[in-house]
Amino acid sequence: MTIPVISRMPMPTEESAAFFKHVCPPTFAGDNPDPVEPTVRIARDLVVDFALALPEGDSVPMWIIEDPEDARLGRQFPSKLIRLREGDVVHAKVGAKKNTHTIHWHGIEPTPMNDGVGKHSFEVGASFVYQFCARQAGTYFYHCHKNTPLHFEMGLYGLLIVDPPEGQGVVTRLAPEQGHREHYDVEAFWVPDEIDRRWHELGHEAFMQKCDEADPVRRDDFSHGGILNDFRPDVFLVTGVPAARRDPKIVDPRVAVSAHAGQTILLRVLNAGYTVQRFTLDLDAEVIAMDGRPLGVPPYGVYSSPFTLPARTPFQLTSAMRWELLLKPTVPGTYPAQVEYFHWVTGKRLATVRTQIKVL
Amino acid sequence: MHGHDLQWCISSKEWSRRDALTLGGVGLATLSLRSVACHAALGGPLDPELSIGEALVEMIDGELVYAWAFGDPRRGPSVPGPVLEAFAGQELQVTVTNTLSTPHAFAVLGTPIATKPIAPGATETLTFRAPPAGTYLYVDPLSAPVNRLMGLHGAMVVLPEERAGTPYSAPTPAVARLFGDLGTTEHFPGEPWQSDRSRVWLFGSVDLRLPDSISRGATFDMNEFLPGYFTINGLSGAFASHDPETIPKGRLGEPHLVRILNAGMAAHSPHFHANHVYVLARNNVVQENVVLVDSFTVGPTERVDVLLPFMRPPDVAGDPQTPLRDLVKHELGMRLGTPQRPLAYPMHCHMEMSQTAAGGNYPQGLVTHWEITGDLDGVDFPESELESQSTGGDRHDHSSH
Ligand SMILES: [Cu+2]
Ligand SMILES: [Cu+2]
Repeated sequence: MTIPVISRMPMPTEESAAFFKHVCPPTFAGDNPDPVEPTVRIARDLVVDFALALPEGDSVPMWIIEDPEDARLGRQFPSKLIRLREGDVVHAKVGAKKNTHTIHWHGIEPTPMNDGVGKHSFEVGASFVYQFCARQAGTYFYHCHKNTPLHFEMGLYGLLIVDPPEGQGVVTRLAPEQGHREHYDVEAFWVPDEIDRRWHELGHEAFMQKCDEADPVRRDDFSHGGILNDFRPDVFLVTGVPAARRDPKIVDPRVAVSAHAGQTILLRVLNAGYTVQRFTLDLDAEVIAMDGRPLGVPPYGVYSSPFTLPARTPFQLTSAMRWELLLKPTVPGTYPAQVEYFHWVTGKRLATVRTQIKVL
Repeated sequence: MHGHDLQWCISSKEWSRRDALTLGGVGLATLSLRSVACHAALGGPLDPELSIGEALVEMIDGELVYAWAFGDPRRGPSVPGPVLEAFAGQELQVTVTNTLSTPHAFAVLGTPIATKPIAPGATETLTFRAPPAGTYLYVDPLSAPVNRLMGLHGAMVVLPEERAGTPYSAPTPAVARLFGDLGTTEHFPGEPWQSDRSRVWLFGSVDLRLPDSISRGATFDMNEFLPGYFTINGLSGAFASHDPETIPKGRLGEPHLVRILNAGMAAHSPHFHANHVYVLARNNVVQENVVLVDSFTVGPTERVDVLLPFMRPPDVAGDPQTPLRDLVKHELGMRLGTPQRPLAYPMHCHMEMSQTAAGGNYPQGLVTHWEITGDLDGVDFPESELESQSTGGDRHDHSSH
C-alpha cells in the first residue's frame, strides 16, 4: 500500500509576486509618501560593527544601530535608547550603511511602510524617513526586521521609551485621582539577552533563500544546512552587560538598581532574546503595564487591572514581551534578583544571572 | 520528556461534567481542514469518523516527511487533523479507527475525554458531551509527546450552547464587558464581534530526525528534539501568509477572534503588528484580567484565545479622524513589488528561530498575515492607479556559509 502524500499547497499563480516579495522584498529609498510635520527628528544608521568585551577577556562581534548625530554616545550596545513624549510625531531617518536593513518600532503601530517589515513594504536602500505618532506612553523597542533570527541576535536593537506628556519621571498607570500618573524616582532597564557565538561569525544574508522571480518557491532555491533554528547560547547578558561564566552576578550600575528607602523605582523589563526568561525579585512589585499598555487605564485598559507580585514570586517572559513594574521599598538592605534562561524547546535551564536592588 | 526544568502553567480549570449537562442535540461537525466555517449551516448528526494512518507530508522546501495523521474518510489524512466543532454540552460520538501497526488513542487535552489505547486495526467509539465553549487540542496522548509530534493532533472548537455575545459559555465580567463594548462605545467604533470572524491557528513543528527514526524502527532521544520546520495550520511562510482560511481580513471595526494552539514542543511568542490583542482565555480558563499585549507566550500544548480588535493602527501620524484612504493615500496607491493595499501586517513568533525552514530561509516559518481592507465607515480602500516606485527585488544570490 502506498502512503498518501499531503503535498505542499500549490502556489496560486496570481500570488506569484507576493510570494516573491515574501522572500525578496524590494529596496526603496527616499522620503515618506504621506508626510506630516514632525515634532521630533531622529536618525539611526545600520549596521556598525561592535566588539562586546566579555568578563573572561575575549570579545564577541556584534552589530549595532548607531545614532550618527551623536559622536559621543551614538555607538552603544544595546543601541542608543530613543526617548519620546506621548503625542510626538516622529521622523526617523534610517540609513543602511551596509547592505539593506529595516527598523521595526516594536509595539508602535503605524502603516506598513512605516512598520519596517520588508515583506510588507521594502528594505531600506540608501535611507528612508520612517514616520509615526507615539500615541501611548510606555515601554517599546526597535530592531532590524531583516533575516531577523540573525540580525536581532547580532544586537540590532535598542529601547524606545515613550514618556507621558509631562516627561521623564512620570509614568502612566491606573490612578484615577491623579489623572493616571505616578512619579518615580529611579528608572531601571532589565533587558536580558543571550549570545550563540557560532551565529556571530555569519554574514548578513546567511542561509537565505535565493531570489527567483520566475518561481519564488522553487525547491532548489532553498538553502540547506543552516543553523538559525538551533540556538545554543553560552553568553548571557542583561542590558548589554555580559555575566561572568564563573560567577554570573552583575553589579554594573546599568543593571543593578540603587535607591533610597521610600523612593519609587520603575523597572522596565524586556525579553530581547530567544529563551524563556524567568525573573525573581526579593521585593514586592506592582505590575502596572504590559507591552506599552497601562493596565486598568481607560479606555482600552479597563478590562485589566494592575496586580502585585509578592517578593520571590517569579514571572516569565518570552521574546519581545515587556512589563513595567513599580517597586516601593521601605526597608534598607540589599535585595537579590535573578533571571533564569530556559531553552525554548528543551525547557532546560541554561543559566541563572543574579543582580541586586540596593536600598539605602 | 526528561530533564525538563521549565513547568508550563497548564492550569486548566477543572472541567466538571455537571457544567456541561442537559443540553441535548446531536452532531459534531467535522469540517474541512483548517476550516471553522459557519456551524449554523450544518443540519443533522455529523458524528465524526477519524482514522489514524500514515502520510508523507511535504515541507515548504519540498522535503517529504513521514508522519502519522488523523484523517476523515472523505478527505483523507491531514496534519493537523480536521477541525472538530461542537456546541457546549452537545452529545457527541467520535469513531476512531487505527490503521497503523502500533496502538494509538484519541484524547482532548484538559478534559476527561479520551479513548483507551486502540489496537492496530481496531475501531473505538467514544461518546461524550462537549466541554464548555473554548479551544481544545486533541491528540494521540500515547508515548507523549512522540505521537503528537508525529502529526497526531488537531483543534476542537466548542461554541457556546446559546447564541451569545462572546465565544464562551461562562464569560468573566471583563470578557463580557469587552465584547459588550465592541461596536457600542466611542473607543470601539465599528461592529460587534460576529462568530464567523474567527480563525484557528494551530502551531506545529517538525524535526526530521524523529519520523526518520520512527520509520526505521529506531529510537529517538527526545532530549535531542530540535525542530527545523515551523507551521501554522500545517503551512509555513509564504503559504501560511496567503491562505485565506488562516489570515484575518476585514475593515477597521471588524474584530476577529483568533484561537491559537501549540501542538509542538517549542515555547512560542506570537507577536501581532499594527494592533495589540486582548488575551481572552488560556487553556480554557476565561481570563479575569484581560490584558492588551502585542506579544505573549504559547507554550507546548497550550491554547490561547485572543481578540484582534481591528482598530485603526493607533500610531499612524496625522489626524485620527481622517479616513486612512485620505490620510495615507499615497502609500495606498503605491506598488512596492506588490500593491500596498490592503494594509497588510505580519503576525509572527518572536522566538525568531521559528521563522526559519531547514535552518534558514527566513521568513518561511511560523508567520502569517492579517489585512485591513477599508476604513471604519465601511468604505474599502479605493482601486486607484498604482504608482510603481520600487527598485524591485534586487538581491541576487545569497552565500550560505
Ligand atoms: Cu538588519
Ligand atoms: Cu519585534
